[in-house]
Amino acid sequence: MDPIFMWETFKVLLGGLPLTLNLAATSVLIGGVLGLLLALGALAGGRPARAFVAAYVFVFRGSPLLVQIFLIYYGLGQFRPALQAMGLWGILREPYWCAIIALSLNTAAYSSEILRGGFRAVTIQQIEAGRACGMSGLLLMRRIVMPIALRHALPAYGNEIILMVKATALASIITLMEVTGLAGKLIAETFRAVEVFVVAGAIYLSLNFALSWALSRLEHRLTPHLRPRPVPFAKVSPHA
Amino acid sequence: MEALRAYLALVGFGENGWGKALLTATAMTCAVAVAGFLTGSIIGTLVAWAKLSRSPLLRGFGTTYTTVLRGIPDLLVIYLLYFGGSAALGTVAGFFSSDGFIGMPAFVTGMLAIGIVSGAYQAEVLRGAFLATPRGEIEAAKAVGMRAGTMLRRIVAPLVLRLALPGLGNTWQLVLKETALISVTGLVELLRQSQIAAGSTRRPFEFYFTAILLYLAITWVSTLLFRRAEDRTMRGLRRAA
Amino acid sequence: MPESSPAEDAVPVVALDNLHKSYGGLEVLKGISLSAKQGEVVSILGSSGSGKSTMLRCINMLEVPSGGTVSIAGEPIAMRRRGTGLEPADKRQLSRMRSEVGMVFQSFNLWSHMTILENVIEAPVHVQRRPRAECIEEARALLARVGLADKHDHYPGHLSGGQQQRAAIARALAQRPKVMLFDEPTSALDPELVGEVLRVMRSLAEEGRTMLVVTHEMAFARDVSSRVVFLHQGCIEEEGCPQEVFARPASQRLKQFLSGHQA
Repeated sequence: MDPIFMWETFKVLLGGLPLTLNLAATSVLIGGVLGLLLALGALAGGRPARAFVAAYVFVFRGSPLLVQIFLIYYGLGQFRPALQAMGLWGILREPYWCAIIALSLNTAAYSSEILRGGFRAVTIQQIEAGRACGMSGLLLMRRIVMPIALRHALPAYGNEIILMVKATALASIITLMEVTGLAGKLIAETFRAVEVFVVAGAIYLSLNFALSWALSRLEHRLTPHLRPRPVPFAKVSPHA
Repeated sequence: MEALRAYLALVGFGENGWGKALLTATAMTCAVAVAGFLTGSIIGTLVAWAKLSRSPLLRGFGTTYTTVLRGIPDLLVIYLLYFGGSAALGTVAGFFSSDGFIGMPAFVTGMLAIGIVSGAYQAEVLRGAFLATPRGEIEAAKAVGMRAGTMLRRIVAPLVLRLALPGLGNTWQLVLKETALISVTGLVELLRQSQIAAGSTRRPFEFYFTAILLYLAITWVSTLLFRRAEDRTMRGLRRAA
Repeated sequence: MPESSPAEDAVPVVALDNLHKSYGGLEVLKGISLSAKQGEVVSILGSSGSGKSTMLRCINMLEVPSGGTVSIAGEPIAMRRRGTGLEPADKRQLSRMRSEVGMVFQSFNLWSHMTILENVIEAPVHVQRRPRAECIEEARALLARVGLADKHDHYPGHLSGGQQQRAAIARALAQRPKVMLFDEPTSALDPELVGEVLRVMRSLAEEGRTMLVVTHEMAFARDVSSRVVFLHQGCIEEEGCPQEVFARPASQRLKQFLSGHQA
């Protein structure tokens, strides 16, 4: 283990971090919104809507993300003339946008399942109480259903965000130079796989820890109702 | 339709059809997946045992293992094993005065890479299942005088596996999808074969689309098999739903 | 009970007219007609399956009747046909009327992710759109009224069943309702907690609130209500003032019911 080499490696890999974060954040955002729409569609829509969502989830969770990326990046290239006519070619030939599309569609499938689980956790009693005092539709959704559903979904969704950060590594296979892409290039050039692996791994683990910490703080803030009530300091004085 | 016929000719078993190649590659995918999963089961059992042991050192090792391997992208592990392994092989070959790049055998690399990562996930599933097994049933086994080996074989293992089955089903799905990443080592599994076919015929869309269908087929069959296994092992048990 | 002017007597606060309710082939309410005037406390008794909860829940349309009309303060809830049954026709009217009817549930149904105070101000602020400061002030007064002044920042999960139900009563009161509906409010409580809830309900009755109470608490029905209604298999079997109904039950089934539930 050569510390100088590892430091140099670190500086190189750090250059890929903005792209990693960019890919992760953008796809989580787009995929999250899409997943919410899918979950709401399955909740409120009729049988065709539920069937569509079930099929969507099956396809995107049942096949490897890498194949989905290839299909969009390489596969759509086959239709270049048609896409050019529609004005979409500018976007679809860029590896960045193909990666974003694939990542977003993929996480939308997982997110919708997670959110559906959250919705299921909203008990009929809490909804009835809302209806009984005159709430309906959007108000009921906004004040009662969504807050409870999101709180319930938070642990699983936090996990999904962390998985998405890891998934961005696949973008390196379609030439995007995020952290893993740069790591792969370095390894291929220097053959010092172990040292590069350690540095790259450390970067991802740090990202992981930072995200987990932030998520657990968020969870903590949002769920005081699930913890025992804190006892005020004065009341536990040993001197009766 | 004309387009449909052209598609079927492309992926079919005719003159220029790639059907046979794709199916062979699918078989390779399943093979490396099974090999990787079983490797992961062995590693997972050992790591779970470490995490449940009384020794803080072993527990620390177990936790480090699961945290690290679930926290880094699988691709990095593959790069490590492939390039690192090749470098090691090259050094070893150097002792026998052979020069040049000796690539790690792709299948072995794939199996190990998948196994090492899957082991971390399986360890968590097994550990959770063990912690959830009812203590009373194990106590009853002790009370009738069962010895440790028998108890493990007849009581503990079946109980743990029964609870672990859903989680293991999930990790199997993860393994299946990870096989696609092994394509970077050159192993001709389904994705690599699709790539080759796509490059040769300049019709990437048809082949990657077909690949997705084939992966979905494997996924679907796996789900059915796991569900059947779950139903059989859950006989005599009432579940929430 | 406070004197009510003849004008107020004229229009019942709640009026059910020939209410029918079927679930598929099973008819649960078979033509119920009932009205409650201002200041009346109506206790609704009956064995399980008699339809008493269903009838109560039809008043604020948590169950939608298959036939008949529900009127609040003289205003009928507009209905229209849908498929083989009915549904409320005017969403705005429904929302407004629901916010004028306070409901207390058997399982309290407080919103677990909000504090007690937040639960109480939720409907006034977000449904009735009253100024937040005014709602908070009123909420604090109501919580003090039900004996929970110091628990305003507690979450429902941290309170006992009796405390939760009292908070639920405060929540219903915060809507300034014309009528309060109680659906077996003490059935889910441990026996020693029942008393504190009944005390609050009694004080509400004494200040002249209009209340419809589905209950098994015979003492409450006999001592606090102004009228008792006995339901059997979807019909009103007997109805009258508590002294009459408890002391001299006319129907055989009511006699049986009372002997099974000693007051």
